[in-house]
Amino acid sequence: MNLNTDMTVNRITDEIWEIPISEKPGMLVPARIYATKGILQAMDSGVFDQVTNVACLPGISRYALCMPDGHWGYGFPIGGVAAFDVQDGVISPGGVGYDINCGMRLIRTDLTLADVQPHLEQLMTELFRKVPAGVGASGFVRLSGEEFGRVMTHGAKWCVERGYGWHRDLVRMEEGGCIEGTDPSSVTDHAIKRGINQLGTLGSGNHYLEVQVVSNERIFDPVTAAALGITGNEQIVVMVHCGSRGFGHQVASDYLKRFEKSMRRYGITVQDQQLACAPFRSPEGQEYFSAMNCAANTAFANRQVITHQIRESFATVFGQSAESLGMELVYDVAHNIAKVERYPEGDLVVHRKGATRAFGPGSPELPEMFRQTGQPVICGGSMESGSYLLVGTDQAVRDTFGSTMHGAGRTMSRAQAKKTIRGAQLQEQMKQRGILVKAVSMSGLAEEAGLAYKNISEVVESVDRAGITKKVAELRPIGNIKG
Amino acid sequence: MAWTVRFLEKIALADIGFEAEGESVEEVFRGATQAVLETMATPSTVSGGWERAIERSDLDPSALLFDWLSEVVYWKDAAGVVYREAPLTLTREGDVWLLHARLIGAPVDYLTQELHADVKGVTKHLYELKQTGGRWKVRVVLDV
Repeated sequence: MNLNTDMTVNRITDEIWEIPISEKPGMLVPARIYATKGILQAMDSGVFDQVTNVACLPGISRYALCMPDGHWGYGFPIGGVAAFDVQDGVISPGGVGYDINCGMRLIRTDLTLADVQPHLEQLMTELFRKVPAGVGASGFVRLSGEEFGRVMTHGAKWCVERGYGWHRDLVRMEEGGCIEGTDPSSVTDHAIKRGINQLGTLGSGNHYLEVQVVSNERIFDPVTAAALGITGNEQIVVMVHCGSRGFGHQVASDYLKRFEKSMRRYGITVQDQQLACAPFRSPEGQEYFSAMNCAANTAFANRQVITHQIRESFATVFGQSAESLGMELVYDVAHNIAKVERYPEGDLVVHRKGATRAFGPGSPELPEMFRQTGQPVICGGSMESGSYLLVGTDQAVRDTFGSTMHGAGRTMSRAQAKKTIRGAQLQEQMKQRGILVKAVSMSGLAEEAGLAYKNISEVVESVDRAGITKKVAELRPIGNIKG
Repeated sequence: MAWTVRFLEKIALADIGFEAEGESVEEVFRGATQAVLETMATPSTVSGGWERAIERSDLDPSALLFDWLSEVVYWKDAAGVVYREAPLTLTREGDVWLLHARLIGAPVDYLTQELHADVKGVTKHLYELKQTGGRWKVRVVLDV
């Protein structure tokens, strides 16, 4: 089998591949990659190198994992999952990423394509106006330092208290949109100044707001879909992908720098400086965990303020309240985070970087409404292809620390994509295919062309066949806002 | 211009990597700074009006460059600006490297500026400042 690595990669099943600990000095556990043979063969060399570097980190449990959307990141691969013992393991900002609690949110509506198509241009213009995107964008919410502290501790709950959402939204978010155990004193003034004006903004890169359609023939599990509010019949839904913006980015930068110094004191050596880490129980480890949770809560709040703006935009364009348009939240899920979760080995710090929690119906952590379906998992494809709604499984909890994929995953660098297609050309091509794109940056648009990504359907098939998530519905884009 | 910048196509697919090269450490600082500015916006489309002086020092020029580039990224969000230019001088007093720089730019305005990527951070992934064959070179991966 031709792979972009010289390492031995053994087949466990058609969707699971294992690199034994003999392949790199210092590996403490094997590395496992979830992928079809085709996806594995296309994976870049960085994935194999990075997932085996992760397997060398102190206190790692069972396996270092990479999901089928995995690709070369920094430190951990994107798509990486690793769990560390809370007593003698580590926590690593590189295993979470700079964009702490980057995540996905899906909002349903009662509208159909026939309702929206005549107003699509107006709707996308209104959304583009109300949801700032792109480099350094600031939002409409103005906060004092003290109030921003409440955002850090209360997350999406703060938004609902301020009228930016409905109380019932909260139960449809991972952790109820508010992670406990935060301490704003663990966050630097630098981080606060960087992020205080950015609540309700998308950012750029692969972040987006997308209006999508659900057709009956692309619903794979009608019972689960209906339970989650997805009814098909050309139903309109809205997907949001963004995170903690400059605030989270600065928290990551601050602690990576701090951990680089403290690692010497703890006698930890790593294969890549971006794997800088600290013992989870150390003062530095606990402070990062707290600061990371502050950033995670601001990300929940960011997506909640954006949801408020989306609801306002729809209400303006369609002349009805968001409630009468049925704009309920389907779910909000993080895909860049570290959390303490209980597994047979004990309490573990599960790092997911470009990977989604995927708890099954049997998980006691889930609210009652998801005990039959399993936790919703929202996976974004490229803006040209489509996205998926899936649900977690009990097998994921057993096999992958309750984790699955988060998106399509790149196959081409940004520089290559820009050489292949121009932004304006791509925008016109998409318009011809019925997808209206509003973008702040044309070069940024070109970087996100569908040709730069894996085929999301094949990626989704991998995790479905592996049993770690189950397909519910495919979502087809008709309008996209990019930073 | 005694520096060159080359954007890298084969590394860190979701991010942006570049190599800056120059005849001196100061020139490498200039090249790397320009690469970060251009990653965020086309500098010629940005007017002036916002300015900030920055002075930093370090025994290690590699650490100094990393901190400086991180500062450029920081002010983009903290002040909500993109940059037209960032003139700088790098001197050495004994073992200490001293950076005197100015960030010059304007508030973000997508109607008048050609905007690109919102850089999240300067990473240490593959980060290296070294001298080879009489020239200085740095490799940087930006998380975007």
